[in-house]
Amino acid sequence: MQPYGPLWHPRLIGPAATLLVAAFITDLIYWRTLLFQWNNFSVWLIVAGLVLAALSGLALLLDVLLRRIGRLAWWRFAGFTVSALLSLLNAFVHSRDAYTAVVPEGIVLSGIVTVLLLALGWHGWSLRAIAAANAAVAGGISR
Amino acid sequence: MITTSGPALRATATMIALLLSACDDKIAPPSTQYGAHPMLPPPQQYILPPMDVPTAVGWKNGEAPKVPAGLQVQALASDFKHPRMVYALPNGDVLVVESNGPKAPVYRPKDYIEAKVKAIAGSAGTGGNRISLLRDVNGDGRPDIRTVFIDHLHSPFGVILVGDRLYVADTDEILSFHYTSGQTRMTASGTRLTDLPAGPIDHHWTKSLAASPDGSKLYVGVGSNSNITENGLAAEEGRAAIWEVDRATGMKRIYASGLRNPTGLAIEPHTGKLWAIVNERDEIGPNLVPDYLTAVKENGFYGWPYSYFGQHVDVRVEPQRPDLVAKAIWPDYALSSHVAPLGIVFSEKSSLPNRYRSGVFVGEHGSWDRTPLNGYKVVYIPFVNGRPSGPPQDVLTGFATADGREAMGRPVGVALDRTGALLIADDVGNTVWRVTAAK
Repeated sequence: MQPYGPLWHPRLIGPAATLLVAAFITDLIYWRTLLFQWNNFSVWLIVAGLVLAALSGLALLLDVLLRRIGRLAWWRFAGFTVSALLSLLNAFVHSRDAYTAVVPEGIVLSGIVTVLLLALGWHGWSLRAIAAANAAVAGGISR
Repeated sequence: MITTSGPALRATATMIALLLSACDDKIAPPSTQYGAHPMLPPPQQYILPPMDVPTAVGWKNGEAPKVPAGLQVQALASDFKHPRMVYALPNGDVLVVESNGPKAPVYRPKDYIEAKVKAIAGSAGTGGNRISLLRDVNGDGRPDIRTVFIDHLHSPFGVILVGDRLYVADTDEILSFHYTSGQTRMTASGTRLTDLPAGPIDHHWTKSLAASPDGSKLYVGVGSNSNITENGLAAEEGRAAIWEVDRATGMKRIYASGLRNPTGLAIEPHTGKLWAIVNERDEIGPNLVPDYLTAVKENGFYGWPYSYFGQHVDVRVEPQRPDLVAKAIWPDYALSSHVAPLGIVFSEKSSLPNRYRSGVFVGEHGSWDRTPLNGYKVVYIPFVNGRPSGPPQDVLTGFATADGREAMGRPVGVALDRTGALLIADDVGNTVWRVTAAK
């Protein structure tokens, strides 16, 4: 008997976050080398990250609607949402031409998103409230 | 957010301010940017750059662009495949270059979106990759013979006859054909005079042509491979420049540089000097940077990409080059921003009323990144002593609706036919227009 089952959304949030963090790294490389292809890498990574973020949102919606998740960790939800919105803004900033696509606003946004995601990801990519998760673990169900 | 640092806060504040300010900016009218000393507002950095294109609808039967009193306009011929350039041969035959750029690669998500937006404005029309010939046998101003003069070209643009050699500038080479007066079809195949910077990006693909007054040299306008170096500096090798090609040997050298997209070249008839129309950079504001008309100084550097209008540095280009910026020449005459001049002809041999006979006609294809629209017309700029001497005057307007929602046509190349009438290629209306003095 599994009242929740394995959640879907963490499987997508993880990859989305990875791509958005990678964009910060390619931004850093562009900033130091000024080789335009790193600039292009960044914008594709951000866009791909946003696509996965959107799919994560859908997966979360299903997890909620199908009552697979229990109680939602609202603060974590807010954190991921802010990261996604900042990344959307960043996609537009990164669509500028040449240097100002990255420096300064673009790389600052990538940096903020990276810190946010790494902090949020420290506890994994699930949005299930910790209390509920503990209950689930206590019930012998893994995440 | 505890992670927000000082610079991050400032950057965020800047962005919010930009988002808010982008909507309510008062845009100075184009008239503030005509001539030698255009008003140049401070540059902006956009979050969402404006893309404002009128939907290409073409001309309905009987519709035509508008002329001021004293002139009249009629369609010389239509149903072309994206006509970009017109050229009159000495015997009166008119060549129409039907062309569009090679397929542009998608390097960024933005490239994809921009291509879609520009397609709405008719810029994606399939080019004929050919040159058509029109002949008016009975002199009634309407062609009686129409042939495909040269077929299977590769994004051609410039065309010029020097002696018995007809030169066609494909996007990647100058072809030379032997031409005999009266022929309606080019039977001999062309030979390559020289190659030109082209693929694989070929962002600005048009190659404009002019010949030196003594006919020994050709001048070729080669546009940049980007808006502002976003495809890397290596892609700009030999670009944003006017090349001088020796007609006898095909040897070439850069005649002038730093000209972002020199889409039209012409020799001023009194001084014999080379003039160019140049499309300047985008995405730093509705009134930046004015496109311009300028005499081209030999070995001169005009700023692109590092600066515009002399020493106005473009912060989007890194590493910067203060040494080059210091040398950058202030161009002669601003046409105002984003008008996209694509055609130029001096009016000396015009049969239009006297007030149009001492200056230059410029075809302005029109903006795609500015609200309200700018350009979408043909203007006349009077010259005195070989220099521009007044603001541009409208010669042909009404290519777009007053509200800027729809475009029936967009003017490109301009030329004078043997009778001195003004011809205009219209690549959205797929028509060649002929402007004459009103009867």
